Amino acid sequence: MTLEPDLRDALLAAVPSLRAFAISLSGQVDRADDLVQDTLLRALSNIHRFEPGTNLNAWLFTILRNLFHSEYRKRRREVEDPDGSYAGRLTVQPEQGSKLDFEDFRTALAKLPHDQREALLLVGASGFSYEEAAEICGCAVGTIKSRVNRARFRLASVLRVDAEADLGPDSMTRAALQSSR
Amino acid sequence: MTSEKGNNLARVIAEDDLGEKFAADPRLGELSQKRIGDQLRAMYDDLVQQPVPDRFKDLLAELEGKGRGTEK
Repeated sequence: MTLEPDLRDALLAAVPSLRAFAISLSGQVDRADDLVQDTLLRALSNIHRFEPGTNLNAWLFTILRNLFHSEYRKRRREVEDPDGSYAGRLTVQPEQGSKLDFEDFRTALAKLPHDQREALLLVGASGFSYEEAAEICGCAVGTIKSRVNRARFRLASVLRVDAEADLGPDSMTRAALQSSR
Repeated sequence: MTSEKGNNLARVIAEDDLGEKFAADPRLGELSQKRIGDQLRAMYDDLVQQPVPDRFKDLLAELEGKGRGTEK
C-alpha cells in the first residue's frame, strides 16, 4: 500500500469532520475514534475504487456510515437494545474546550431514531446536499428530506424549542411575527 | 359486491396513506427550524474544531512510511 503525501493530507484534512460525524452518530468519543480509524484503513485499502475528482469527503462519510451500521446491527444482536438506546448513553464529554451548553442538544439528538439522526447530521451539519446525503445513505432523496424534517420536528419538541411560545400560542400572532421579520 | 369490497379496501388504504403522510411530515415553524439548525451547527462546529488526536497523524505517517518501505 502506497500512501501518497497528497492523499495523506486529504485524509488528515477529512478527519475533523469525520470525527464530528462519528461522535454525533455514536454519542461516544472512543467509539467514534475507532470508527474514524477503521474508516481511514478501509478507505486506503479500497482507494483504487475512489474516482479522482469526485467528492472524497462524501466517499469517506459513506464508508464511515456503513461501518457504523454494520457495527450497530452487530451490537444490537449482542446486547438487547432494540430501540437503539445505547446511542443515548452520552457519557463521554468530548475533550477539552468543549462547551457544556450543548449537553441538552446532544442528549436530544441521541434520542432520535438513528436514520433520522444521520440524515439530519449529513444535511443540517456536515453540509451535504439532500442528493449527496441520499447517496451516502443509499436511499431516495425524498426519504432523506422526510427524515430530516421529522428529526427537526422531534428535536424541537424534545428541546421545547418553541420559539413562538413565549409570545403566546396564538397562531395569528405567530404568523404576524414571522411575516414581519 | 366484489367491486364494492374493492372500493372499501381502496378507501381504507387511501386514508391510511393520508394519515401516514401527516404523521411523516409534521410542520415546524420557520423560527423553530432556524433555532434547531443553529444549535445543531454550533454543537457540530464545536466538534469539528477539536484538535485531531495524535493517533490519526501517527497512523497515517506510519502507513506512509510503510508504503515507502515496500516501494524500495
